[in-house]
Amino acid sequence: MADLFDGYPLGEVWDEMFGGVAQPRAAYAGLFASLQPMSGEELAARADLLSQTYRDAGVTFAHAGEEQPFPLDIVPRVIGAGEWAVIERGLEQRVLALEAFLADVYGAGQVFTDRIVPRSVITTSAHFHRQAHGLVPPNGVRVHVSGIDLVRDEAGDFRVLEDNLRSPSGVSYVITNRAAMSQVLPELFADHRIQPVADYPTKLLAALKASAPSNVADPTVVVLTPGVYNSAYFEHALLARQMGVELVEGRDLVCAGNQVSMRTTDGQQRVDVIYRRIDDEFLDPVHFRPDSVIGCAGVINAARAGRVTIANAVGNGVADDKLLYTWVPDLIRYYLGEEPVLANADTYRLDERDTVEWVLESLDQLVLKPVDGSGGKGIVIGPRADEETLSDLAVKVRATPRDWIAQKPIGLSTCPTLVGGRIAPRHVDLRPFAVNDGSKVWVLPGGLTRVALPEGELVVNSSQGGGSKDTWVISPPREASDTDEPDLTRIEFSAADLPDDPPGQDPGPLNDTVVGQSQQQQQSASVQGPGASSRALGGGEVLPLAPLDPRKLEPSLRARPAC
Amino acid sequence: MSPQTQSQTQEPQVRTAPHRWRLQVVHRTRFHYTGPVRSSYNEARLTPENSNRQTTLRSRVEIEPAATAYAYRDYWGSTVTAFDLHSPHSELVVTGTSTVEAGPDLAGHDRVGWTSLAAREVREQFGELLTPTPLTAMDDEVVATARDAVGNAKPHQAGALVCRFVGEHMEYLSGATNVKTNAMQAWTRGLGVCQDISHVTVGLLRAIGLPARYVSGYLHPAPRAGIGEPVTGESHAWVEWWDGGWNGFDPTNSVEIGTRHVTLGRGRDYGDVPPFKGLFSGPRSEGHTVTVEVTRLA
Amino acid sequence: MLSRIAESLFWIGRYVERADDTARILDVHTQRLVEDPWIDERRACSNLLALMGSPTPEAEADTERVLATLAFDRTSPSSIVGALSAARENARGAREVLSAEIWESLNVTHNALPQQRTMARRYGPHSLFRFVRERSAMVFGLADATMSRDESWLFLILGRSLERVDMTSRILSTRVLAGDAAPSWTLVLRSTGAYEPYLRTYRGMVNSSRAAEFLLLDRLFPRSVFAALEQAEACLAELERSTVRDAARIGVTGEAHRIVGRARTMLEFMGTPELLAQLPARLEDLQRTCSAASAAVTHRFFTEQAPQVWVPEEAG
Repeated sequence: MADLFDGYPLGEVWDEMFGGVAQPRAAYAGLFASLQPMSGEELAARADLLSQTYRDAGVTFAHAGEEQPFPLDIVPRVIGAGEWAVIERGLEQRVLALEAFLADVYGAGQVFTDRIVPRSVITTSAHFHRQAHGLVPPNGVRVHVSGIDLVRDEAGDFRVLEDNLRSPSGVSYVITNRAAMSQVLPELFADHRIQPVADYPTKLLAALKASAPSNVADPTVVVLTPGVYNSAYFEHALLARQMGVELVEGRDLVCAGNQVSMRTTDGQQRVDVIYRRIDDEFLDPVHFRPDSVIGCAGVINAARAGRVTIANAVGNGVADDKLLYTWVPDLIRYYLGEEPVLANADTYRLDERDTVEWVLESLDQLVLKPVDGSGGKGIVIGPRADEETLSDLAVKVRATPRDWIAQKPIGLSTCPTLVGGRIAPRHVDLRPFAVNDGSKVWVLPGGLTRVALPEGELVVNSSQGGGSKDTWVISPPREASDTDEPDLTRIEFSAADLPDDPPGQDPGPLNDTVVGQSQQQQQSASVQGPGASSRALGGGEVLPLAPLDPRKLEPSLRARPAC
Repeated sequence: MSPQTQSQTQEPQVRTAPHRWRLQVVHRTRFHYTGPVRSSYNEARLTPENSNRQTTLRSRVEIEPAATAYAYRDYWGSTVTAFDLHSPHSELVVTGTSTVEAGPDLAGHDRVGWTSLAAREVREQFGELLTPTPLTAMDDEVVATARDAVGNAKPHQAGALVCRFVGEHMEYLSGATNVKTNAMQAWTRGLGVCQDISHVTVGLLRAIGLPARYVSGYLHPAPRAGIGEPVTGESHAWVEWWDGGWNGFDPTNSVEIGTRHVTLGRGRDYGDVPPFKGLFSGPRSEGHTVTVEVTRLA
Repeated sequence: MLSRIAESLFWIGRYVERADDTARILDVHTQRLVEDPWIDERRACSNLLALMGSPTPEAEADTERVLATLAFDRTSPSSIVGALSAARENARGAREVLSAEIWESLNVTHNALPQQRTMARRYGPHSLFRFVRERSAMVFGLADATMSRDESWLFLILGRSLERVDMTSRILSTRVLAGDAAPSWTLVLRSTGAYEPYLRTYRGMVNSSRAAEFLLLDRLFPRSVFAALEQAEACLAELERSTVRDAARIGVTGEAHRIVGRARTMLEFMGTPELLAQLPARLEDLQRTCSAASAAVTHRFFTEQAPQVWVPEEAG
């Protein structure tokens, strides 16, 4: 039988699993040992089962207007405890710096006065919403949920590729991927201590409640979705369900006198926190697009009046702008007085004539990204682009350099992936999710590993038809301080607490025994001696069967034919 | 006798500074609908500002049918009165009533030259007020002509020259344009109201390198107005430019900003300071009527 | 609960029941065409289409047309495929209050429809009807086993009950109004799944007035009009109790409750002979009752307003 990983090519980029041919990295040792004995067919069969599970559960992603299953690759991606600790620290730092920056942008603007970032970066950004000026969230949090995209470069270091501070999606796949994998490959889970991801909805709900207007004792949280036709609707529904809150559409909400309520069968019910998954531009027709029918009129002023919390906050897009991205390391130094833990990709701003000229000369060696694009749209990867694309690009860049940034291409790491019954390397990235509750930034262990399924494809984005991988963070040995706060009403007991004689299950009326007996009648009549028959139904007498204890009854029944 | 003049007689007679007028403005907007409107959300910018040249003594916004209003300061510093209505109504009346003392800005400032205006810090600080907006953008050709008119003038004079240039090329004509008309459209026709003339002026001021903003307010039409005489006025607009400090000018009437001007707010263009902006759901609108009544009180 | 979600649940109940009942009716209808040598196919098909709310001239009515209209029309919520798609579409928006199993069951049903359709074309429609009956049973079975008996359950069952009243009365109409092209009472009973319960109850030959009585008035058979009305009434009573804060002292508070209650008492207290004598009018009443009750439920509990379209307005 061929080894599953035979002939797995190692290229020039970092491979997540292998440090050398057939030499798995430490974090992957267990996974490698479990997978290696499997045949390609077996793994493929399990992968089919996996995708069937997904189809039935309706785990879908709307791509190009069609609802498609979101492919989950069967080979997990593993991140060691040490590496993960670095990512966690780096993300917390980044989120805190970006929070401080947003508070500054929509408040005093000290960062501009101190000339850390030019004010024009903000005032020319399409996502700077003056409507949100002076809107102070109750607990100061604007980035309740963030998804910060990381890639691993040739040297094996994680680098930040993009910040997503508006409505980062994908966390539902992290949760469902884990659930599906543990069903299909349970044996892999037995050998690893993998940090669980199922806590996410609980943590999110706690953070949302913590952000509620301060005078509300038991805040009502809702998830606001654009509706079933949105590409991430599955996620909205899953989060609402797992948080146990209502999933509302704009038409379910009504805002009167700055009080937001939802229309229920029992009249209107107050809403305190809106975890919205619709874009700023559609959120409130009073302040943004008046033609929006998926938002809730009046909600911005309700938030301004402190009567409702909008999460994530309005106007966050100004801080996940690809141009601002280039300043994030400076923001970390400015606000936190720390050096960035996670580096950016090498990026060039096109704000100086010399840089623009240099970039225009080197288009074929750079990656050009539109500042405003998301979901991989409009990205041109120079080394792979044809002449025509590059000359078109040059025209566009020359016309509006502010709309572009240039990056040195990163040789994204690869991870073994099941493709056509074989394991082959495919490029991956990682989107970890961070939840800020105002006192702590919590990072969901793992996050979404997206894999570019076409060979050699570098743009790894779920809206460009990529797939995903379950992402494992291996637990460090448990520390004493790591335990949760004591649960005072513990109701878990050990096997020693079991009763000596646990009650059995009620057997139901004993029809079977009558059938059994009548069959045995015939058998005993033909095969056995006459004694059996006279004993069973002697003199037409009905046996008092029902009250008998089944445990005592059964042996006697079994014993009967022998009598 | 209207209620305004009644309240005016109760006003205590306090003498104002000689260079100031005390003015009362009643700005009433009446919206008519073909049938009952089920709900509406509205924002009114009808509260005059407080500044060096203007003190707002009192100001209130009344809404009919009655609604609870919520006030806040927006990004541009205007006071916004927001309210929503949820009971069916086929007419909505919004009335802003204010009493202010206004006069010319007598506090001077140090003026700077073109080199300072071209400095990176200034261009960063006033970026928004140097960038054309869809309502204020002017074609290069017009900008070139305006630049010729300005010649080698220093920034302060340049601002005045641009105002004069626009005043010479555009004629005031009520009803020639609407709130959506942009600067180039008005310029091409050579006609417009104060809003259009101010958009053109702001657009050209920015184009020659002066940070400029659009100001919304009222103008008392009579320079020799009698005290206690209510006069029909209008919403008005003018411009301000920066040359080390802010300078105001009314290009529609070619006058300095003074005792007759009441400032409501300012922004990049009309879109940042509309006196009334709202949304409603229900039948068609039959339009609205606006009346502004200005009275010099002292 | 959210009005929009309540409305979705109500319609899931209606659509799934409609698909189920339609499958039963069509199953019996197609079987009858095969087994009855004297049948006038066009007339029978035309009658059926008319009674299901899609009147078609006799010349155009044939089995293919019946199946195209009542089984496969993807765009009409009156066809099996259309109703199941509509149910699934509603469930998509109400996913977080349905149990995952119910959603999955509706989703799997929907995903299997194209294949079922192909099979039906190739091997005859019976397998499709059977599939639909089984899936509907599964949906309601899962609802029974996995849903809390809160408002969501009440709206689902209310929808199912009202639809059942409507469909059972339509099936009765096929017998009563079709004259000599009518199906036999045995077939009518079979198409509501009532044949065997009827036989066990009356132990004997199928007799027209007894069969009609059974389908209309039987208290114990769950698909009878009476039983369905009673269930709808119980749901409405419960919903009103949980939504009306002030104790209502006079009569019932909800319009839907009144409509359903009136229909139920009409059946309950009108003597059987009298009822059977005016059967066509009574059946029509029942179908109108369902529409009226559905409209009243919508008015009372669901979003009355169409989505708001905002008109911006500015004044200088």
